[in-house]
Amino acid sequence: MPNRWRTRILLSASFVVLFTAVPASGQTPARTASQIPRMPDGKPNFTGLWEALGTAYWDIQDHSAHAGPFFQLGATGAEPAGQGIVEGGEIPYTPAAAAKQKENLKNRLKLDPEIKCDMPGIPRANYMPFPFQIVQSQRDIAFAYEYATSNRVVNMGKFKEGAVDTWMGTSNGHWEGDTLVVDVSGLNGNSWFDRSGDFQTENIHIVERFTLPDADHINYEATIEDKTIYTRPWKIGTVFYRRKEKGAQLNEFKCVEYAEELIYGDLKKK
Amino acid sequence: MRYPFLMSIAPLSAVAALFALTAAPAIGQTAKTAPAAQAPSAKITPAAVAKNWAQPKTPWGDPDLQGTWTDDDCIGTPMNRPANFGDRLYYTEQELADRESRLEKQLQNDLVETVAPDQRVGTGPPAHWGERARRPCRQTSLVVDPPNGKTPDLLPEAKTRRIPEGAGNNNPQPASWEDFSYYIRCISRGVTGSIFPVIYGNGQQIVQAPGYVTILQEMVHEARVIPTDGRPHASQNIRSYMGDPRGHWEGNTLVVETTNFLGDKTGIGLNGGGVPTSDALKLTERYTRIGPNEMKYEVTIDDPKTYTSPFKVAFPLTQEPGYQNFEYACHEGNYAMFDSLSGARAQEKKAAAKAAAQK
Repeated sequence: MPNRWRTRILLSASFVVLFTAVPASGQTPARTASQIPRMPDGKPNFTGLWEALGTAYWDIQDHSAHAGPFFQLGATGAEPAGQGIVEGGEIPYTPAAAAKQKENLKNRLKLDPEIKCDMPGIPRANYMPFPFQIVQSQRDIAFAYEYATSNRVVNMGKFKEGAVDTWMGTSNGHWEGDTLVVDVSGLNGNSWFDRSGDFQTENIHIVERFTLPDADHINYEATIEDKTIYTRPWKIGTVFYRRKEKGAQLNEFKCVEYAEELIYGDLKKK
Repeated sequence: MRYPFLMSIAPLSAVAALFALTAAPAIGQTAKTAPAAQAPSAKITPAAVAKNWAQPKTPWGDPDLQGTWTDDDCIGTPMNRPANFGDRLYYTEQELADRESRLEKQLQNDLVETVAPDQRVGTGPPAHWGERARRPCRQTSLVVDPPNGKTPDLLPEAKTRRIPEGAGNNNPQPASWEDFSYYIRCISRGVTGSIFPVIYGNGQQIVQAPGYVTILQEMVHEARVIPTDGRPHASQNIRSYMGDPRGHWEGNTLVVETTNFLGDKTGIGLNGGGVPTSDALKLTERYTRIGPNEMKYEVTIDDPKTYTSPFKVAFPLTQEPGYQNFEYACHEGNYAMFDSLSGARAQEKKAAAKAAAQK
């Protein structure tokens, strides 16, 4: 990648000229004017507490504001309008899959795995209205999601096939320059993308790309393919923001106990 | 877990949880042949502390504890020391040799595929679903302090706390999911319940970053994110099942202090069973790697609203070839909860019909 190196050299040269200082650590200079955190080996360091903003967790496609399912919650239960995160605006469902999405939405209270506190799967875990913590070692990279204490460890070593299909899938990562590329396979197909019935199957394959444009943002992009329900591969893209409030940390959201009455209520002793 | 097909037992987690509480290592004889390459061998000698071994450091200078660790070797070691051992924490060489031959026999039994006609078949998972010690645990009890190896007495107020079903109190007819332990409900086993050795899911995967240590645990998929940057604890008003951990390094030892627990949830017994601890619980854990594949683990349990004095539990953790964590989708497949509750309701219905017929 000679062009990238040339850019780097130019940037670092201008950096020296402008600020008459090299980065204190003496490591690889940042690609952009603002510094990004780096590991001792110069790789970007994604360690930190992150969270997506926006309303993709309601609907990953563009959507207007809607009333919520329970009038008792009034304004607090309503769905805000929002820009989607699907590139081109639309998920390329096959006709049968598009019909299934509509059915899912109609029966959401029974079918949405989030309502039952099931693990969110990928990519949904990334843009739920909960923070997640990345812990990046010199080898593997752990993602701890606040919602349902779900988590995954991205294997940065030799590619490993998942032994079985799981809710959170099998994540294998590698570096392309400063971009962390994560291949996710072995998903069990039970997860949805959002609260609007957008769904996946066990044939799904996702390639995620994480980049740090500066110290406090991650540009996130994922390419999604599943020939059984989509007519072509499609992409989502959003931004994760570093949580910087005083004392911000990953808290515990063990939601099982909030879903038990819903799931087992009819089996309670009368 | 050693076996990928363990994934299929998630639906049975609650049954397994009940089983784990009562099961000593001698499980039934229903095992199918385990893959030979993965069958543990009791002949492996205890991981000796390497003489020339030096604690590796991460590139940013912290002691490197990373890997997936397990306490399988102490499966079945009682929490409280049997009285006949007195103050003796370690088995004699002869006792260890006996235990080693028992382990070998157990591994042979694990390979038995059929059940003898006169053998009772339990409802627990078959033996090959469980994890096994690869070498005998040297300890006579998990409790190492006080010297008699016994959990200190409970305070009177703690004796009145309700013990949920599956956590040491077996109520035959649960009225609600709330009668079950937080483990059977797939909510949490608490911090100690998530590391104390049980029949499976003993893996502790450690991933470190500058300023953080994360411990990922298979069962109920816990991820303990432990800041090591010296920040203060979260507000006392933010409480949780797994508490608020803070870590620091003392030489090569990772010391983790955890507070801010919810009271009256899980206990210090296996899988979080036993009398629930209080909101005053403070845990101090020490992780010290002593070789490439061996680590010392100890935890001091201090709960002035539950026990008459603090006490200490310790055991070794090892890294084993091919051992890794798998996803344990406990809640997602918790059919045992449906079965237990619907079974109890069916029994009540039957009893009511019988009573009506007798009138």
